[in-house]
Amino acid sequence: MEFKDYYKALGLASSASEDDVRKAYRKLARKYHPDVSKEADAEVRMRDINEANDVLRDKEKRAAYDALAARVARGEGMGGAAGGPGAGGDFQPPPGWDEGFEFHRGPHQGPADHADFSEFFSSMFGAAERRGAERRNHRAKGEDHHAAIEISLEDALNGAEREITLRALDTDAQGQPTFVNRTLSVKIPSGVHPGQFIRLTGHGMPGQGGEPAGDLYLEVRIAPHKLYRIEDRDLYMTLPVTPTEAALGAQVEVPTPGGGVVEVTVPRNARSGLKLRLKGRGLPGKPPGNLYLLLDIALPPADTDAAREAYAHLAKAAPFDPRRHLGISGD
Amino acid sequence: MASYTITTHTITTSSTAIGGARPLAARELAHAVGAEIDWVVQLVEVGIVEVEAPVPARTEDWRFHGAALQHALEARRLERDFGVGLDAAALILDLEHEVRRLKAMLAALGRS
Repeated sequence: MEFKDYYKALGLASSASEDDVRKAYRKLARKYHPDVSKEADAEVRMRDINEANDVLRDKEKRAAYDALAARVARGEGMGGAAGGPGAGGDFQPPPGWDEGFEFHRGPHQGPADHADFSEFFSSMFGAAERRGAERRNHRAKGEDHHAAIEISLEDALNGAEREITLRALDTDAQGQPTFVNRTLSVKIPSGVHPGQFIRLTGHGMPGQGGEPAGDLYLEVRIAPHKLYRIEDRDLYMTLPVTPTEAALGAQVEVPTPGGGVVEVTVPRNARSGLKLRLKGRGLPGKPPGNLYLLLDIALPPADTDAAREAYAHLAKAAPFDPRRHLGISGD
Repeated sequence: MASYTITTHTITTSSTAIGGARPLAARELAHAVGAEIDWVVQLVEVGIVEVEAPVPARTEDWRFHGAALQHALEARRLERDFGVGLDAAALILDLEHEVRRLKAMLAALGRS
């Protein structure tokens, strides 16, 4: 496990005030937000920034983290490796690192996206929050947790079974800290679409006072596909056609996402960008999505005398000025 | 060096896809984002999430599609980490989704 320097992630000194943390987070979140960032590693950086913010903005978590960092600086928990904190990525938390701290969430904190965070974060704070929750004596259903699972379009269409591993730091019967891995075998039903959630009942935080455990919600993400772009239940594919097919109309064969081929009619005088709809050929559901084909007219290369001659004949036979609307043509 | 044992359990679990025949109740949506049901009502008022039609009179009976959970989580983070109001969060989320849609379109056209 790699020791995470949360202060470094936010570009702060360990003496930074709460206000400094907030300002640094907001500035960096704007820089690395994956939707607007031009940085190549934006997604990874954003995750690190979110994780650092989740710890440093919370007084209790920050105090525990500071205490841990101080012990790491003295060389504890390094597994004997030389170098600075996290050298060799073999950081192990020293025993009892979180003694005396109880983590709990205020009413406005919401769930931390633990599953999106690093193994370091989950081990340090996931288990401590769990114990903190057990110590409080009111009755409440356990907190729900969130994670994301990426599957292929084929798996979304056909359904699949995937294993995910959750790790928590726990205490065994002798009071020694121990890692517990839970491997969950998850059935992905056929027809899931991006942004849909799969609920695993009872796999969130334990409940308090005899109440049931929370649930784990898995957000479905579909990996980019080489042919199809996905929007909700609809699929989009670029369909290249020749100028001849576009001009005269044609029957062309198109692969469908579930396997198999369908014949599609390209209408006469079709233009580039024309959208053809294959109803119900998108992701399954009620109603099923559509498959949209976007026509893209691909020019045959003029790389032989015969081809050049044919283009010249075409220009004579079908005089055509695509720049007429610019208002500067000769006629 | 502290030594740790690692125990591994494999659990076969039942999973439910949210949406369609299995929507989320208002209370479940609130619990999933660590909020109260009143906060979900506010999300509906500003249009960040939509109640499945027909809309029942009692908020406890409201049902939500899976996309509502994604929107609610995003709104929660914007509110918590940036201190934005829900009206501004609604606008930010609309813009965010539009950017993602357009980027996906550009990627599909091979122009990103």
